[in-house]
Amino acid sequence: MNIAKDRIGGLIFLALSIAYGYSITLIPIYPGDEYEVFTAKTLPTALSVLGALLSFCLLVASRNEEKSQLPNLDWIIAIKLVLLMVFYGAVLEILGFIIATSLFLFCGYWLLGERRKLILLLCSFPLVIFFWFVLTQLLDIYLAPGALIQSIIGN
Amino acid sequence: MWEGIYLGVTTAVMPFNLLMMFVGCFAGTFIGMLPGLGPVSAVALMIPVTYGLDPSSGIILMAGVYYGAVFGASTSSILINAPGCSSTVVTAFDGFPLAQQGKAGKALALAAYSSFTGGTIGAIFLVFFAPMLAKVSLSFQSSDYFALMVLGLTAVAAFAGKGNILKALMMCVLGLMLSTVGTDRSNGVERFTFGSIEFIDGLSFLLLAMATFALAEVVMSVMDRKTAAQQNQVNNTSSLGSMKLSKGEVKQVAPTMVRSSVMGFIVGVLPGAGATIASFLAYGVERNVSSKEEKAKFGKGSLKGLAAPESANNAASTGSFVPLLTLGIPGSGTTAVMLGALIAYGIQPGPQLFVDHPDVFWSVIISMYLGNIVLLILNLPLIPYIAKLLEIPRTILIPLILFFSLTGVYLVSFNAFDIQVMVIICIAAIGMRLLDFPLAPMLLGFILGGMLEDNLRRALLINDDSMSFLWDRPLTAVIMTLAILALFGQPLLNLIRSKIGQKQQQNVFDAE
Repeated sequence: MNIAKDRIGGLIFLALSIAYGYSITLIPIYPGDEYEVFTAKTLPTALSVLGALLSFCLLVASRNEEKSQLPNLDWIIAIKLVLLMVFYGAVLEILGFIIATSLFLFCGYWLLGERRKLILLLCSFPLVIFFWFVLTQLLDIYLAPGALIQSIIGN
Repeated sequence: MWEGIYLGVTTAVMPFNLLMMFVGCFAGTFIGMLPGLGPVSAVALMIPVTYGLDPSSGIILMAGVYYGAVFGASTSSILINAPGCSSTVVTAFDGFPLAQQGKAGKALALAAYSSFTGGTIGAIFLVFFAPMLAKVSLSFQSSDYFALMVLGLTAVAAFAGKGNILKALMMCVLGLMLSTVGTDRSNGVERFTFGSIEFIDGLSFLLLAMATFALAEVVMSVMDRKTAAQQNQVNNTSSLGSMKLSKGEVKQVAPTMVRSSVMGFIVGVLPGAGATIASFLAYGVERNVSSKEEKAKFGKGSLKGLAAPESANNAASTGSFVPLLTLGIPGSGTTAVMLGALIAYGIQPGPQLFVDHPDVFWSVIISMYLGNIVLLILNLPLIPYIAKLLEIPRTILIPLILFFSLTGVYLVSFNAFDIQVMVIICIAAIGMRLLDFPLAPMLLGFILGGMLEDNLRRALLINDDSMSFLWDRPLTAVIMTLAILALFGQPLLNLIRSKIGQKQQQNVFDAE
């Protein structure tokens, strides 16, 4: 895929600076602060102006930029891994640390092409249980069992 | 000073701290060796582990991880031509050809000796420079700090490489913008939280560091088919060859190591420059001063070409602790992560650290030296075994690294929402990497943002709301001038050079 990296980057950053600048209007100000030189809005305002200015400079500097080729990337696997991470974040507090993490690791190995059953099983559940043991028993870190487990076992 | 050194030695040699040093060096070497994960990720991964320790032990562990990771990254550069981080890219130039010639053992041993020399010379300099600078910096005012932070940010942009200055500056600004999210520290006003309670405390530094350096790096390495294929074809690491260096070879590389170490340390001290620039610079200088036949060997397995960047990047890693410990300004991405960790301990690095927590200050410095010895005695005999780790299939390693990164953040906040935020930042970081935007300046901007705002506010308050402190106070003015020079020096020099070139051409043309 050929893209003009600087132009795209400049445009995104310009949009971001403008959106950031607009959000400054949402920052509440205490009565009397309008007479102060430095308020909660001062640095953000300066940053938004600076950001817009820099992106404008990049856009100007990149007007003759030639499109460059993106490296040959495997997008599918990246999307799968990202979805797996989102899934892990979503179920962690429901299924609890052990089940959610074991599932995450199992699916992760699977997605990356690991098909040996023994490795798939050994490197997920036992490993997570060992890690859970180190955390909860040795380092004294409390890990909630998860809403689902709690509802089954009861408090 | 001797009292301090004594205090540092007694703290560093406590059995538990020595253990931490060993564990740190080993864990660092292991993590650094994994392609794609460098010192920044290694130190970031260690932060949750260090929360249960006292500050001295925690920081000793992280320092051990730091130089262990720098060394580990060199190992993967030499053995499989996949640098773990940018500062060891140069190591692969001559290290990998040596490995291909069957001299992998020799290359690894030389890398270990060079790292040791660089680290040792750096640590000796650190012992003398850091307290000196710490004493001077006690007289610094908020306006000087503000100027120093501006210098740090412009320097990191200036060293970002040709054509990247604008992008690095933009990333600094983005980091500063992200640092404004959350409750304003001085008057308690909520900024950019959009009504969500999750953002009231602002973004966590650990989260940002892990998402941009650990997660994004790993996902990128999976996406990149070229690296993936390269890493799947791991060389047979069981036959490394002899690890001995002959007397002649030692004689040949010794001056190179010393020269590069001194240069590396100086570059490392400069805020923003760091180990990558140091290693490139040392390699370039060494090639230029070499004889013609030696010069021809560079890039094809020259011992000098391997010793120079290795000494320089280790000395620079040590050097980057000078601004961190004395001014509280991180000189590199890794020291920025360590600064975040120190702040989490309730310790504010800076001139007061020397006064308030002399045990932390000195034990870090002394542990740097001891750590180098540990690294040498641990790594040299263990290299053949550690190298085996490179044979662990990526299909297993990658999910594990993702898991450690995600859990590392979760175990600090116990909030699953953070995992979703990490994924979003990871996607953004991948986008930025693809568009060639450097990520380290963003991290530096983020960590300096709060301090920059506080100091600017205080400086304005002291100076009756006038910006005149920028030019009225000599020290501030000098630092600001340096910042401007750092930013515009190179483009100005280029312009002058091209003008002179044009003039000379014109003269030649006229003479003809």
